[in-house]
Amino acid sequence: MTQAEIKLCSLLLQEHFGEIVEKIGVHLIRTGSQPLRVIAHDTETSLDQVKKALCVLIQHNLVIYQVHKRGVVEYEAQCSRVLRMLRYPRYIYTAKTLYSDTGELIVEELLLNGKMTMSAVVKKVADRLTETMEDGKTMDYAEVSNTFVRLVDTHFVQRCPLVPATENSDTGPPPPAPTLVINEKDMYLVPKLSLIGKGKRRRSSDEDATGEPKAKRPKQTTDNKEPIPDDGIYWQANLDRFHQHFRDQAIVSAVANRMDQTSSEIVRTMLRMSEVTTPSGAPFTQPLSSNEIFRSLPVGYNISKQVLDQYLTLLADDPLEFVGKSGDSGGGMYVINLHKALGSLATATLESVVQERFGSRCARIFRLVLQKKHLEQKQVEDFAMIPAKEAKDMLYKMLSENFISLQEIPKTPDHAPSRTFYLYTVNILSAARMLLHRCYKSVANLIERRQFETKENKRLLEKSQRVEAIIASMQATGAEEAQLQEIEEMITAPERQQLETLKRNVNNVFLNFILELFIASVWK
Amino acid sequence: MAGNKGRGRAAYTFNIEAVGFSRGEKLPDVVLKPPPLFPDTDYKPVPLKTGESEDYVLALKQELRETVKRMPYFVETPEEKQDIERYSKRYMKVYKEEWIPDWRRLPRELMPRKKCRKAGPRSKKATDTGKGPSLTNPADVLKKIEELEKKGDGEKSDEENEEKEGGKEKSKEGDDDEEDDAAEQEEYDEEEQEEENDYINSYFEDGDDFGADSDDNMDEATY
Repeated sequence: MTQAEIKLCSLLLQEHFGEIVEKIGVHLIRTGSQPLRVIAHDTETSLDQVKKALCVLIQHNLVIYQVHKRGVVEYEAQCSRVLRMLRYPRYIYTAKTLYSDTGELIVEELLLNGKMTMSAVVKKVADRLTETMEDGKTMDYAEVSNTFVRLVDTHFVQRCPLVPATENSDTGPPPPAPTLVINEKDMYLVPKLSLIGKGKRRRSSDEDATGEPKAKRPKQTTDNKEPIPDDGIYWQANLDRFHQHFRDQAIVSAVANRMDQTSSEIVRTMLRMSEVTTPSGAPFTQPLSSNEIFRSLPVGYNISKQVLDQYLTLLADDPLEFVGKSGDSGGGMYVINLHKALGSLATATLESVVQERFGSRCARIFRLVLQKKHLEQKQVEDFAMIPAKEAKDMLYKMLSENFISLQEIPKTPDHAPSRTFYLYTVNILSAARMLLHRCYKSVANLIERRQFETKENKRLLEKSQRVEAIIASMQATGAEEAQLQEIEEMITAPERQQLETLKRNVNNVFLNFILELFIASVWK
Repeated sequence: MAGNKGRGRAAYTFNIEAVGFSRGEKLPDVVLKPPPLFPDTDYKPVPLKTGESEDYVLALKQELRETVKRMPYFVETPEEKQDIERYSKRYMKVYKEEWIPDWRRLPRELMPRKKCRKAGPRSKKATDTGKGPSLTNPADVLKKIEELEKKGDGEKSDEENEEKEGGKEKSKEGDDDEEDDAAEQEEYDEEEQEEENDYINSYFEDGDDFGADSDDNMDEATY
């Protein structure tokens, strides 16, 4: 893990779980797999705190444990999983677009709690939805369950590995840690639950709970006493599936930009058909026949079979090679080349970054080198039709930023510099990785900047909050317009500044996503 | 080893043409310091994408940041003891739900071991929803007195406490694994008999109660 990534992980953990968990988490990321006592000793925190931190981290799937010989349990942090925490809002928003508010809340609860049982999720979501509904209406558990089942069917939610059922627990001491197993088939198996009930609306008096201990509140007695029917079956959000969805979206929008709306719809249909059948790391989807595609097109689209075939041929012949033809049966078998598509998208991202950073002439040189693979200095000047001095300057600028690299080709075995060819080339994988690293670094910087701004303007923000409350109360009592104006002016620019940094934070995250997918695909 | 330098004149060891400089041309200056921290850029960054979906995601992110602070997974750093205990602090505490992990899924060593045992059944048994933080002081004191009475009465609880203490001390001294396992084994069996809510009661109490229930109290007379 690079330093920038570790820094970002540390910031994220601190934001979500506090300083103690952050200390333990970062220590594990830095040092790899370690047993409990070593962690406590190295981080100089008390054993109790380390235990608590580890419980939290394991609950959220950020740390896994393994039993080694002699009963020593070692804990290992998953750095990439920590980085995914950046994208939680995006996952939640995706669930909202696909399954509306119910789906959104289910995914949000699962992400916030790490793992939960189905009954717990359904209950919580129903309660939350009930609160937002009008008075007198409540959310039925059945509806929430249905959405949950749909999420599982489309693989957005999956089961966590289970504790194996032990038949004889008194033969010898119990193991120091359970080994969790999960069967491929069981991962999306929903237990038969009959969840009957409606969401409960919290009384307004209960919300005023600051300082009031819970013991004094009347407890919700009935639900607690019943045994939970699906005890031990936990569910978690399947992040890979979300990534797949994002990837599909990116491909579809790329096709739409390059060609037209209809072809993007066709590609979207093909991707939808292979959603659950294609494993996440596959280089291309399962072959789909043209007849199948025709049948699965969305209802609104009434293009004839010939037109569909023409579109498919066009897509297959396109130099970008998003769609490939793999056979002729069934009217033509077509696949989507996922890895190639990701590669093109990553390349396009690199090109646009070069253009925005260095200018369009640099971008021309970059595209040229990409196309021709290896070029000498002189050739670059000739092909790009840019004067030598400028070309040199631009090449060296890009070289210093590691977008372009030099390849030496020696003429003699002693690699004498006067007798070696130096060729400029673009190594897409390493350039993508460099860009990704830069993105992480800038996100970390932005988070720090945001924290700094918040601290600086804390006084102002509190003031603005109070002012908002005053405005609200005054509006309720019908105050004059002028007074309201005056109060609003009390909020000044720093408040907006903070919002800006926040935004940049969020948007930067989107960029690094495609690059990550591309890198991941090549490695697999 | 320095060798012939071309009869006192500087000469490049490689073909300078290959890298693009013609002979005799002025080479760029050598840079002797690190690049500036905030260099001027000729090209300003592209403005951010704004739109409905971006605004929604932004709002989600802000909400999320607030929500996670209130979740039970957010572990507060224990504050140092203030010189003067502010009266208002007790009433400004943010109420948080408790969380018990599913111990069947976690390694046994992560279960917290308490210094002393509060023997006897509790009046309120919480299962999964968990219990709230400790009650206000007068009720607390009364409860403690009750427990001390019970402790004085029950012999078994005394034994348990001593075993616990012994086990804890052993583990503190850092003996080898077997002894630890044996002690943990004993404690594990004991804890199976106890209710799960013990975890919450000692674990989440404020600083003033933690450690105060040491075994020293056993020796004092109970009233």
